[in-house]
Amino acid sequence: MKAELTGIILVLAAVTVESGAQLLLKIGAAGGPAILVPLHRRRVERLPGAASAKRWIGLGLLAYGLEILLYTLALHFLDVSVAFPLGSLCFVGVAVLSKIFLGETVGRVRWLGVGCILAGAVCVTL
Amino acid sequence: MKPAAIKIPGAVVGGLIAAIVLDTVIQVTWKRAVAGIPAEASFAAIAGAACASPFFYAAMGAFAAQFFNWLRVLKHADLSFAQPFTALSYVSVLAISGRALHENISPAKIAGVALIIVGVFFISRTPFRTTDGAGQP
Repeated sequence: MKAELTGIILVLAAVTVESGAQLLLKIGAAGGPAILVPLHRRRVERLPGAASAKRWIGLGLLAYGLEILLYTLALHFLDVSVAFPLGSLCFVGVAVLSKIFLGETVGRVRWLGVGCILAGAVCVTL
Repeated sequence: MKPAAIKIPGAVVGGLIAAIVLDTVIQVTWKRAVAGIPAEASFAAIAGAACASPFFYAAMGAFAAQFFNWLRVLKHADLSFAQPFTALSYVSVLAISGRALHENISPAKIAGVALIIVGVFFISRTPFRTTDGAGQP
């Protein structure tokens, strides 16, 4: 039971890191923090080197490396049939971060799509 | 109210298709690279065996191509629009696993694939870009 809980915590950490990695890559692909909503842009622009798109992309790649490590560790404690659908929560994480940090419109139809994909990911592992 | 037709630029459509194809190639070649390695092998033995396989290098090549392709997609489309499309690689991997690798495809898996396709269809009906590139709707 303790091993399973450890595995679930590791997958959730991997999901959080992967969602963050996608956000970092998006900021880098867009050329820098100008894409962020004003509240977060003002905070981020104070950081040294924040204007460099390459730095955001590099941070995104580092986050991906960490995510691979966390997910690999999680698979030591959990079956793939549990880890895989939990990992699909990344679709939810990306939608939430896109709305909060990038100001993207994530309406009902987009959420419905994410919900269907999550349900589908659970079924695929059955 | 009838929703307005949303025209997705060819560059975004092409990038999303390439992302799904490359993701499929990565997963299948990666699986081929580690196939046949005993489950009880040490991490170092697994890494060594994988590095000796040409499939591992095919996976790495596809991974690099995927990285640059994905940056191009993200430059033109919302993150919350583009990322869910990658779920379609579950569908393609399952199809390849069933046909080429002769793995069992259960009714639950088929239902899962159908749900993923429906989910991606819903997302494709939303605008591919909802901000002006400066965090404003």
